[in-house]
Amino acid sequence: MDVVIRAALMYFFLLFLTRVVGRRELSSLEPFDLILLIVLGDLIQQGVTQSDYSFTGLMLAAGTIAIMQTSVSWIGYRSPGKAGLVLEGEPIVIVQDGKCLEQNAKRERINPAEVLEAARKNGIGSLDEVEWGILEPSGEMTFIKRSG
Amino acid sequence: MQGRGWHIWVRRGLFALLAAFVLAGLFNAFGQRPSTAQASSPEADLKIYAPTRVRGGLLWEARFTISANQELKQATLVLGQGWLEGNTINTIEPSPVGEASRNGSLSMDLGHVPAGQRFELYMQFQTNPTNVGHRNADVQLQDGEKLLLSVHRTLTVFP
Repeated sequence: MDVVIRAALMYFFLLFLTRVVGRRELSSLEPFDLILLIVLGDLIQQGVTQSDYSFTGLMLAAGTIAIMQTSVSWIGYRSPGKAGLVLEGEPIVIVQDGKCLEQNAKRERINPAEVLEAARKNGIGSLDEVEWGILEPSGEMTFIKRSG
Repeated sequence: MQGRGWHIWVRRGLFALLAAFVLAGLFNAFGQRPSTAQASSPEADLKIYAPTRVRGGLLWEARFTISANQELKQATLVLGQGWLEGNTINTIEPSPVGEASRNGSLSMDLGHVPAGQRFELYMQFQTNPTNVGHRNADVQLQDGEKLLLSVHRTLTVFP
């Protein structure tokens, strides 16, 4: 019984954690981030299954996470406005008409050099070519080039 | 996608099965929430508060409450094999005066319990992950050699 409750609470806590740390951290997977991810996984396992070594416990914990994830995804699909905003966040404009919007970039702790790096990864040499540069809820930066 | 409309229903059915399994777990179908079993006799009452379903590796507690209606000169608790088979006993508090095997069961001599007094025995267990199955976990309360009451219980260990 309690393994189901612990798994559900862990899911909500992780959801909260990913919303709090911001998408800049979500988009990158530097060596240190990878280590943190492994440490986090270990901590989660200890908290959810504790001393439970059983296959039944594993199925209950994994099943609970699958149900939570499906439910959250369904809620986001049915109510993309409010629920989507809370669960996934919204896209943030970082570049508009070739200019980096410092206020938005500062909010997500992204400096102009990183915007340029993301642009280069998208095959864009200069921000002058960009009409819109958007930080997506996934943490990825997407660019729309100026037409003509 | 033509002719594959039923695929979604297969997936939904499997998802419903998963949800039913998790719900069953939430409602204690696979342990470890404790339940109470009790029995009474003119000499004493016995209440056992322990889970009847556990999973491998779990730490759990069994609490035995003996209420003496009459003086028990040598209260003795006899636990069936299911309590011990594949379970590690981490601690027993208060420690029994003596322990022995009685026809394959664990007999614990708890000493003297005056009339009107209550005796509580706490046992802490951990279930061995390879200990899977359904076992008899009867409990008997005796005063010396005299059987006062017995409680029939089972212990199920899920894989």
